[in-house]
Amino acid sequence: MLRRFFGLASMFFLAGQITLQSQEFKLFDRTVQFHGFASQGFIYTDQNNWLTMHSSKGSGAFTDFGGNVSVQITDKFRVGAQVYDRNLGNLGEWHPTLDWAFADYRFKTWFGIRGGKVKTVLGLYNDTQDLDFLHAFALLPQSVYPTDLRDTSIGHLGGDFYGTISPKPRLGAISYTAYAGHENDNIYSGFTYVSSAYGVNRPHYTGLQYGGDLRWNTPLHGLLIGVSRRNEYSGSKSTFRNPLVSPLTLPYSTETYPLWTNQFYAEYERGRLQIDSEYRRYLYHLVVNRNLLATTVNVHSWYVAGAYRVSKRFTVGSYYSRYAVRRMSTGPIAGLFPDQTDTSLPANHIYDKVISARVDLNSFWNAKVEGHFMDGYGASTFPNGFYPQLNPLGYKPNTNALVLKTSVNF
Amino acid sequence: MKDRKVLPVVAAAVLFGSVSALAGDLKVIANPSVQADSITVADLRSIFLEDKKSLNSSRVEPVLARSGTAHEAFLKEYVGKSDSELRTYYRTLVFTGASAMPKFLDSDADIVTYVAKTKGAIGYVDSDLPTEGVKVLSVTRAKGSVERKLVTRTEPEYPVSLRVLRIGGTVRLMLTVSPQGSVQEVDVLGGNPILAESAAKAVKQWVYAAGPSNTKLEVSLSFDPLR
Repeated sequence: MLRRFFGLASMFFLAGQITLQSQEFKLFDRTVQFHGFASQGFIYTDQNNWLTMHSSKGSGAFTDFGGNVSVQITDKFRVGAQVYDRNLGNLGEWHPTLDWAFADYRFKTWFGIRGGKVKTVLGLYNDTQDLDFLHAFALLPQSVYPTDLRDTSIGHLGGDFYGTISPKPRLGAISYTAYAGHENDNIYSGFTYVSSAYGVNRPHYTGLQYGGDLRWNTPLHGLLIGVSRRNEYSGSKSTFRNPLVSPLTLPYSTETYPLWTNQFYAEYERGRLQIDSEYRRYLYHLVVNRNLLATTVNVHSWYVAGAYRVSKRFTVGSYYSRYAVRRMSTGPIAGLFPDQTDTSLPANHIYDKVISARVDLNSFWNAKVEGHFMDGYGASTFPNGFYPQLNPLGYKPNTNALVLKTSVNF
Repeated sequence: MKDRKVLPVVAAAVLFGSVSALAGDLKVIANPSVQADSITVADLRSIFLEDKKSLNSSRVEPVLARSGTAHEAFLKEYVGKSDSELRTYYRTLVFTGASAMPKFLDSDADIVTYVAKTKGAIGYVDSDLPTEGVKVLSVTRAKGSVERKLVTRTEPEYPVSLRVLRIGGTVRLMLTVSPQGSVQEVDVLGGNPILAESAAKAVKQWVYAAGPSNTKLEVSLSFDPLR
């Protein structure tokens, strides 16, 4: 822990010293660049514990950092890799992961391919959700970008086709991405953590993933609209022991089909103002141990966000985020998991009102303060920030949270 | 009669004209290895947004200034982003692996030195700066067209009847500029017809720097009744 503290402190100090120029060196007459980032946050909640932290007592278990290396081999061919590590309450637990590592060949502006470990393009911010310095908010709207479930959609091992088409400048430009690959959920993610509350031993979800994204930079300057779709077929194998089912340790296997996400989004930037809005529909059907339990989860979520750059170094923002979950189960042990169908109940929704302020101390270092006013806790076998292990006495209907965060990049 | 309140009212049009004038005080420079003597605005934008890495089959690399009037004017005129928007854009590319961070330099002189010694480098500097060792690229709006520098600009009159009714908007015009620099023809592309008539009357008095041939230019003038 002390080594990590000094490592982070060094990174913050280093970022304060480096000016905005590429950190680079020459290798075989090619310029190799390296960059890094780190963030440290603190969360206090007045009621329920949030994001697997003991936040009701104040928690600084909210750290992440990463670094990348990349090189442009030719004018069309590029390779690079990024490593990422984080600790978020009881998630991540300082297990570094390969964030992305791919080779990218851009034949034309309208057609390129990349292959390897690739970040998944889904909505406005799925592929950049870890990059705190890019966003006005300390936490992106959790209804659409739940940080505890980051690992379920962050990337795939496979390939992408992508490009930008602009037949006539007056019609704007359309960018597309189509991808397919293998998804490999981190066992230190929120979905695995909530499974352990029911006696499942760190299931490892993997499977085929494919989808696409289409976005239109419209002729109206600053307006972007788009749609993403993601399909997944995943499974897992592990063991579980739940006294309510059996005193024995039993094998555990799941198949999840179908599992899909539709996401619609729009962004408008004009001068100092930026307005974003997204709607996500997420549905999956999970079968445990060949119909011992079959669960269908249906999530509707959306947000509207606005940010205004008051001055070069000061930005204020606010968003309203709504998350609603419906879950129904069948099978011999379905009685252990009562259906969730009434989204007016606090257990089945989270409505979050947020205000935020960001200060850019210099080009590489920023600090944020943010208030969350949450109605509901959305507790389900499909989590969204609130976990039974951290709230053993049950949940209060509302939670207010203070989030402080600082991040650096170079 | 020209209403004195026209000046703040047409501030957006003045700003447009000012930026165009500043953009006209820039020059785009490139390393001699770049296989081009001119570049379209679309290609220039693509290169500085890291969407395009080659020009006429020669590799190119953008070079930017850290700050300054020329930098702000270049971004506004050719890239369409502010400095902070562009830096955020570059960081998004770098940390998702899509591209490298381009080079940022402190002064125009540093940019000239870097462009001169770096194969494929493209940058921008003040038009008065000596540019030994680099080539100057002429910027065209479309293949075959040539950018013309605006020398004299006349402000349009804001029709009183529309200003009182708080009717404003943007007028788009297509100008035909003669080789001598006078505006020979004005076609209205869009906007309120009454505002367009006033705008057309003003732009017919505009004078551009001499050029090799007739040039088609599209301009936009904004009328804001609240300014």
